[in-house]
Amino acid sequence: MLTSEMDKIVTFIKDFEDQQKILNNKAPQWLKDFRKQGLTHFTQLGIPTIRDEEWKYTNISPIVQRTYELTFEDGQLLNTEPLERYCDPKEFNLVFVNGIFSQKLSQLKSLPQGVHISTLQEAIVSHDPELEKLLKKYDAKSESAFVALNRALTQDGAYIKIADKVIVNKLIHIIHITNTSDKEIFSSPHTLITLGKSSEAKVLESHLAFSNEMIYFVNALTDIFLGENATLWYCKAQSESLKAFHIGATRIWEERNSNFNGFSLDLGGRIARNNLDVALSGEGGNAILDGLYCVHGGQLVDNHTCVDHREPNATSNQLYKGILNGASRAVFNGKIIVRPIAQKTNSYQLNKNILLGKECLVDTKPQLEIFADDVKCTHGATIGQLNEDEIFYLRTRAIPKRTAIKMLSRGFVDDVLQRIPDESVVRKLNQLLEPIFAAL
Amino acid sequence: MIKAKESKYLNAKTIEENKLSSREYQYGFVTEIEADRIPKGINEDIIRLISEKKKEPTWMRDWRLKAYRHWTTMKEPHWPNFQYGPIDYQGISYYNAPKTKNQDPKSIEEVDPELLKTFEKLGIPLTEQKRLTGVAVDAVFDSVSVGTTHQAELLKLGIIFCSMTEAIHNHPELVKKYMGSVVPHTDNFFASLNSAVFSDGSFCYIPKGVRCPLELSTYFRINAAESGQFERTLIIAEEGSYVSYLEGCTAPMRDENQLHAAVVELIALDNAEIKYSTVQNWYSGDKEGRGGIYNFVTKRGKCLGKNSKISWTQVEAGAAITWKYPSVILQGDNSIGEFYSVALTNHRMQADTGTKMIHIGKNTRSRVVSKGISTDESNNNYRGLIKILPSAENARNYSNCDSMLVGNKCKANTFPYIEVKNSTAVVEHEASTSKINAEQLFYLRSRGLDTEAAVALIINGFCKDVFKELPMEFAVEAIRLLEMKLEGSVG
Repeated sequence: MLTSEMDKIVTFIKDFEDQQKILNNKAPQWLKDFRKQGLTHFTQLGIPTIRDEEWKYTNISPIVQRTYELTFEDGQLLNTEPLERYCDPKEFNLVFVNGIFSQKLSQLKSLPQGVHISTLQEAIVSHDPELEKLLKKYDAKSESAFVALNRALTQDGAYIKIADKVIVNKLIHIIHITNTSDKEIFSSPHTLITLGKSSEAKVLESHLAFSNEMIYFVNALTDIFLGENATLWYCKAQSESLKAFHIGATRIWEERNSNFNGFSLDLGGRIARNNLDVALSGEGGNAILDGLYCVHGGQLVDNHTCVDHREPNATSNQLYKGILNGASRAVFNGKIIVRPIAQKTNSYQLNKNILLGKECLVDTKPQLEIFADDVKCTHGATIGQLNEDEIFYLRTRAIPKRTAIKMLSRGFVDDVLQRIPDESVVRKLNQLLEPIFAAL
Repeated sequence: MIKAKESKYLNAKTIEENKLSSREYQYGFVTEIEADRIPKGINEDIIRLISEKKKEPTWMRDWRLKAYRHWTTMKEPHWPNFQYGPIDYQGISYYNAPKTKNQDPKSIEEVDPELLKTFEKLGIPLTEQKRLTGVAVDAVFDSVSVGTTHQAELLKLGIIFCSMTEAIHNHPELVKKYMGSVVPHTDNFFASLNSAVFSDGSFCYIPKGVRCPLELSTYFRINAAESGQFERTLIIAEEGSYVSYLEGCTAPMRDENQLHAAVVELIALDNAEIKYSTVQNWYSGDKEGRGGIYNFVTKRGKCLGKNSKISWTQVEAGAAITWKYPSVILQGDNSIGEFYSVALTNHRMQADTGTKMIHIGKNTRSRVVSKGISTDESNNNYRGLIKILPSAENARNYSNCDSMLVGNKCKANTFPYIEVKNSTAVVEHEASTSKINAEQLFYLRSRGLDTEAAVALIINGFCKDVFKELPMEFAVEAIRLLEMKLEGSVG
């Protein structure tokens, strides 16, 4: 592939060729090849359009019409007050500003034995033997365009490794903050979490911006590998600037009898897209994928989940809820695949939407692809409004209409929030939800 | 390499036993009849020839040509979830009429006895004395309608029920006004092809305020080899009228695949109601998937008037490939669209079927109930679209699609698309996929039923929501059809 051809497709990044050279400056050869492969794959696939079935309802042309810059400077945050309010210093915090690790803001002291938390850069420099293997776990050819792009341009990210039989009680909190003044930044963080046999951990990954005026583009990727019997509770909380764009992919690989308990919160971004792919590659795996999205104004939030039952006796459970206000749009596409060998699969999926705004749109497509017979799979989707009778009842109790709407919406949301087992996370998520409920 | 030993379930029957119990497709015979057929292939001359054979007016011929020219610019769609070999559109004879001594029979008695015998064998006696009371039949054999019963009786009420050819001659104003108004000639690849070459079909017009006292029905029969059937049905229900319409179809057993590309258009005006039921039993090919009909059908109804209602009920039990999405455009305020479907696939059948409900008017409601049963090595897909447009205030939809899997080599997929563009809409969708409940099966077996009868009973219950929508005689027929199809696939 000629570089000029690449330039033609990656038009949304300023001086792409030069930037790439800077990126590859110190990288080892295998990483250079790995990045190049990603880029070739991306250029082959091209930028998805609404003619692609996977992007049917999400038009990303507003994202790629702009030009972004990569940044190589150490992340600076002038006002650390909002971050301090959000984080708990007693937990393990990894902070990335504009995609670059900030030693100053992070807290990684007194790591227990068997717990490795570092940045991807550190792991590359220290020649971590497992890293290359993990990065190459997935078949590169089946990757989607934005995953390939992330591969081509990743600078840094979190690298978490939990050894066999280690249970981490403290929350591991990864925070991605974008803070720009004049430049429109492009960042592609890559998080790698790997849990050894019979280990347990809780991870929260937050994407934040402390101003709603900033325009930037985050193309995030999180790869999670769960060993036999491992249990991970993982939450992705996305509260980007309302003018920013977020495209994220989370891939989970589950070995025998492992548990993935996931939650995904989407509040920010002008266009936010999440791909959550779970590969239940061992017998008896279990996956819980819950989600909540609250959008307003002209926001668009798109959640694509795909649960691939590759082995027998696995279960999966999904509950996605959404509140839409103003002229916002929500897309939900939940796919469940049950391979011929995956007998005794139980798989549930439910998507519920409440429309508060006059002009909001919902496109939902729950999808089942079943190739085995001894299975129980159900999916459901509802789209509706708050119950008029319930609002009326509250009003007869002298509660103003607006408060009644807030209370009922809160109740709708709490149902899914209550499924989160960690109090500290619930507190953090509520902190992000607060301004949204105040504006209802 | 040593071949893995075929596993055998505890209560599995041997192949021979299965063969014994599995009844052959009983409509697979061929009628030896001299036919008037045009050369294979499709081009403008062929279309002119078809038009000429049917002594059509110029406007009809021009419409066909327009459709043909558009068709040549289109590509065969390949988005459905099934595979099939290429179709040679030049290898099909597009017009096949049985040659009869009496070219223009005045009544059913004058129809060629050989044809009457064929329909009798299919269980559709056309002769007046033997006819089913309460059902008027239009019988379509290959490319032409061979006879319509009860016409005079219906005409007393002002109801027009005749073949499409007659309608073009006798009621051109109605045909001109409504044909193509629901499924335009540019709609999709197969609808365009049909618009160009359609040979016959049924036409039905119910005048204002009339409740049709009979069930109207059309029976489609493909007989000739290397041909296809391209019929077009048009039903118009004027203000305040009601009609229930049935459709059945069969074809001979052949090793080649035959194409059936039909178009059905329904129009319901203010307060009118149309109920359209189909029991589709085209030849579905043998166990190895050889032969069978490719069923590519475009069916669409338009609730044009206020408070109108269109209800589709289908039992899809045949055809090698089914590609069919009976839809309703809910344009009039307060109109209702319904879709009830049972799709059964066995052997190597492939079905991609479902519905589209397009809500345009205010307070429109729709209900979708779909049951899919897949057995053997078949592939059964539900694909549906619920679209609530911004103008559809207070629209309401409920969809339910359940799939049942019998055997571990079959596939069942669901692709429901829900697009809501109005915030006052209430939309619900639920779907499930499972196998036959082992406990239920055990219970029935403990009561002395054999596995086959038990499975038939459970499936019967599974499909009950749909069967109860069918007219009485058809429901009985449909239950029997499912039982017959399931024979030998359970064990």
